Amino acid sequence: MDIIVCIKRVPETAEADIVLDAGKKGIDTDGMVFSINEWDNYAVEAAIQLKEAQGGKITVVSAGPEENNEVLRRALAMGADDAIRLTDPAFEGSDAIAMARILAAAIKDIPHDLILTGVQADDDGFGGTGVALAEMLGLPYAALVTDIQLDGDTLTVHRELEGGLEEVTAVKMPALLTIQTGINEPRYVSIMGIRKVAKKEIAEKSAGDLSLSGDDIGVKGSLSQIEGLFFPPVGEGAEIIEGTMDEKAETLVKILKERGGIA
Amino acid sequence: MKKIAVLVEHRQGEIREITFEMLGKAHQLAGSDDEVQALFLGDTSQKELVAKVSPHAHTTLAVYDAALKDFEPLRYGSALEAVLSNADCDLLLMGQTAFGMDLAPALAAKMTMPFTSDVVDIEILDGGVKATRQMYSGKVSAAVSLKEAPKRLLTVRAGAFPAEDVPEVSGEVREIAWSVDGDFAVRKFLSYIEAAVGDVDITQADVLVSVGRGIKDADNIPVAQELADALGGVVSCSRPVADKKWLPKERQVGTSGKTVKPRVYIALGISGAFQHQAGMKGAATIIAVNKDPKAPIFSIAHFGIVDDLFKVLPALTEKVRELKG
Amino acid sequence: MEEEQQQPLAERLDLFSCIQCGKCTGGCPVSIKSPLNIRRVVRESSVRDELSGFMSRIELWDCTTCSTCAIRCPRGLRPVDVVIGLREMMIEEGRIDKTIIDALDGAYKYGNPWGRAKNKRAEWAQDLDIPNALEMDPGQVLYFVCCAASYDPRVQEIARSLVKVLRAAAVPFGILGNKETCCGSEIRRMGEAGLFEMLMEENMKNFSKVDPRVIVTTSPHCMNALKNEYEGLTTDVLHYSQFVWELLSAEKLDLKTPVPMKVTYHDPCFLGKQNGVFDEPRWIIGKIPGIEFTEFGRCRENSLCCEGGGGRMWTEGTGAGERLSEVRVKDAVDMGAEAIITACPFCLLTLEDAVKTTGNEEKIRIIDLMELLAMTLEGDAETGDVS
Repeated sequence: MDIIVCIKRVPETAEADIVLDAGKKGIDTDGMVFSINEWDNYAVEAAIQLKEAQGGKITVVSAGPEENNEVLRRALAMGADDAIRLTDPAFEGSDAIAMARILAAAIKDIPHDLILTGVQADDDGFGGTGVALAEMLGLPYAALVTDIQLDGDTLTVHRELEGGLEEVTAVKMPALLTIQTGINEPRYVSIMGIRKVAKKEIAEKSAGDLSLSGDDIGVKGSLSQIEGLFFPPVGEGAEIIEGTMDEKAETLVKILKERGGIA
Repeated sequence: MKKIAVLVEHRQGEIREITFEMLGKAHQLAGSDDEVQALFLGDTSQKELVAKVSPHAHTTLAVYDAALKDFEPLRYGSALEAVLSNADCDLLLMGQTAFGMDLAPALAAKMTMPFTSDVVDIEILDGGVKATRQMYSGKVSAAVSLKEAPKRLLTVRAGAFPAEDVPEVSGEVREIAWSVDGDFAVRKFLSYIEAAVGDVDITQADVLVSVGRGIKDADNIPVAQELADALGGVVSCSRPVADKKWLPKERQVGTSGKTVKPRVYIALGISGAFQHQAGMKGAATIIAVNKDPKAPIFSIAHFGIVDDLFKVLPALTEKVRELKG
Repeated sequence: MEEEQQQPLAERLDLFSCIQCGKCTGGCPVSIKSPLNIRRVVRESSVRDELSGFMSRIELWDCTTCSTCAIRCPRGLRPVDVVIGLREMMIEEGRIDKTIIDALDGAYKYGNPWGRAKNKRAEWAQDLDIPNALEMDPGQVLYFVCCAASYDPRVQEIARSLVKVLRAAAVPFGILGNKETCCGSEIRRMGEAGLFEMLMEENMKNFSKVDPRVIVTTSPHCMNALKNEYEGLTTDVLHYSQFVWELLSAEKLDLKTPVPMKVTYHDPCFLGKQNGVFDEPRWIIGKIPGIEFTEFGRCRENSLCCEGGGGRMWTEGTGAGERLSEVRVKDAVDMGAEAIITACPFCLLTLEDAVKTTGNEEKIRIIDLMELLAMTLEGDAETGDVS
């Protein structure tokens, strides 16, 4: 079984104090720690487990600058066979759909039975690249997958719905799945393991290699644009809710509603 | 005149709340000349569901076909294309839900619709569509504009807009013809399964009601469970509670427990040792209830109540129940 | 493959010379409650053809690496290193507990096993105006703070107290600030040898830039790693108890304010058993005016481990039996001690947790040796306010 996994390198922002960049359209990532997108890590593990059971080959693909080799190497150390980095200044400013177009252009020429992506990425939280990619490649797909069973050329998957409900769906390969966190327990990648693959070659593809024109990619090829970033109004430390017990509860319910705390 | 369409989301014979949230927002965006449309896909047995949404839309466009009984994105996508060619809407809203996330990005790609996802606010200015969405786990907001196009698509975060007081307009229902065309056997809905009892994965919960030492006794856990039930959430805990076996280890948040990133984390009687914080700091919204105003949990919580959790809990549970009727 | 791995482990650690006398298991603090039997681990590691099934045993994570087994072994073997060796194999296979993965990832990415931001490492010292060691002249005192003291609000109090003490003794010193990284002691004991080397190299680079006369650590774990495991580090490494003992001996500190309290002392394994530092902390306690000292039944070489070492801050292992820290607290309460003095961040945290879980908050407190010392300097011993 030939599996392609699309992975993204993202800054870890949970602990970091985020500073916007000069143009206020991105964040200043200076000094930030980058790692593989959490969801993608589960996707790589899922691919390895399928390969361990079925045999086959895993190719990991990532779009971005040379630093992305870190996450590709990490995936190789985990058990992927090949790595490809898609890189071109013309890719800058691509929205999720344009990014799917870039990935599609690279993947269409690589043999594949299954493509895996994460459900979404830690940075933009978009949650759509994988499904758009499936559409562009003309593949059946399923999003938010929490379990995969293989039966011949059919995948029986669980999709995570709201409120603890799951959907069981059959998808015929070749297909694409977007992988939800918690589907497996991604294995640890040791420093020794990464050192062992340090010399492995990572193929590079540019816009030209992929026959992508400037109209399809980058800002020009994107139908959505970030106009600006700003910080949601949240004060330093907790905003203490005052009042009578009834008023406190009332305020809290309002906050819960606004913040998606009431399902 | 502009037309704003909302794709009705339903499952297991019920209209999902997100539908009304989107209809409410659509009405707010619509001017007096504008039209709010509801788009319904289902089979004939689900016609009664249409009656629940059609009063809230000027026009409801419905496709009934046995093939649309359960959500399945390839068929739904095809039927939706047929509806959209009749709907003539400028903007289509879907939920950023398991339903919308499985459908919207493919539709956007297929129909070349400008699209952004998981929006928490929408503005229509001079015909342009601007949406606010969150990035970096809610730490940063982004203003996103969609390019000029005949139809634009947004998926909306659940809970971003109120579902109550959606205006009633005497809406008409129009059936749109659609028939199965294409190979849809490549993806097939099989069944729904409920998560097994006692098999709760706190890392997957959107809402966590988390209890700490302040809960005092195993006998008090049900009080927290009641709030979690009312919110549609799950009960988790800090280390002392798991240590004492008041809750199973799988429910423990923190460095020696699980790392969680729910939409809302309610910390009840948790002081917030940083080992605990490390496990929950990624939550989009943190609400802390603690008697001790100096408890470190307040430094990372977004909202706090300094009071006895045994007073706050019943009051809050009551209010939530009132709200949900 | 497995045989290749097994042979070096048995050979490297000279396991064939084990006489299976069982003194290791006899002294092992977790043997009474855990399925972990260190004698059998040694035996099986030397005779088994393959170790993979063996390696999946969760009880291998019960070991706190206190090293009592190594002290007691009549053949001079280090059974504890067999556990670490087996953990190393698990790490290479990648099949380890999520909480361990998080700790290792945190140390790799952020230089501390809690995964806290690197640029917040020196936040505890913000208002203390401590010189940057990298800008000092060579030959000074480098204070190596450690991860727990940098990030844990409770443990920060040890660091702040030590700063008070050093200043009272007019000792010039500096810290590495945000450039300091985890010493790797716990990382190595969790079996991530490659990461330990990486962290060691990073610290070594800074040590050679600073070129101090002595490195003083908060934690006995850091002291042990730097002193005994950092290859090529020739600088003297002292735990603060040793350094402060020197200061007190040289009469550089004036302990005036009495601390009228009955206390006992808990020996941190990495300070006592593993490095023979038993007397200095006791001598310092004895110098505190007004203090009444009482000794644990199990003390010094026989001291009971608090279960905070060997990666146990990040994993529960089997979680079987009563926590030894709770045993320790109960014993101290029974002895009528008002406080347990200790000299290690992990001991402080585990013992303090045990005070709460045993419901002894009203009866006993856990105080770090430096906090105790700072009390006598500060003059607030009456209230016992160390914060």
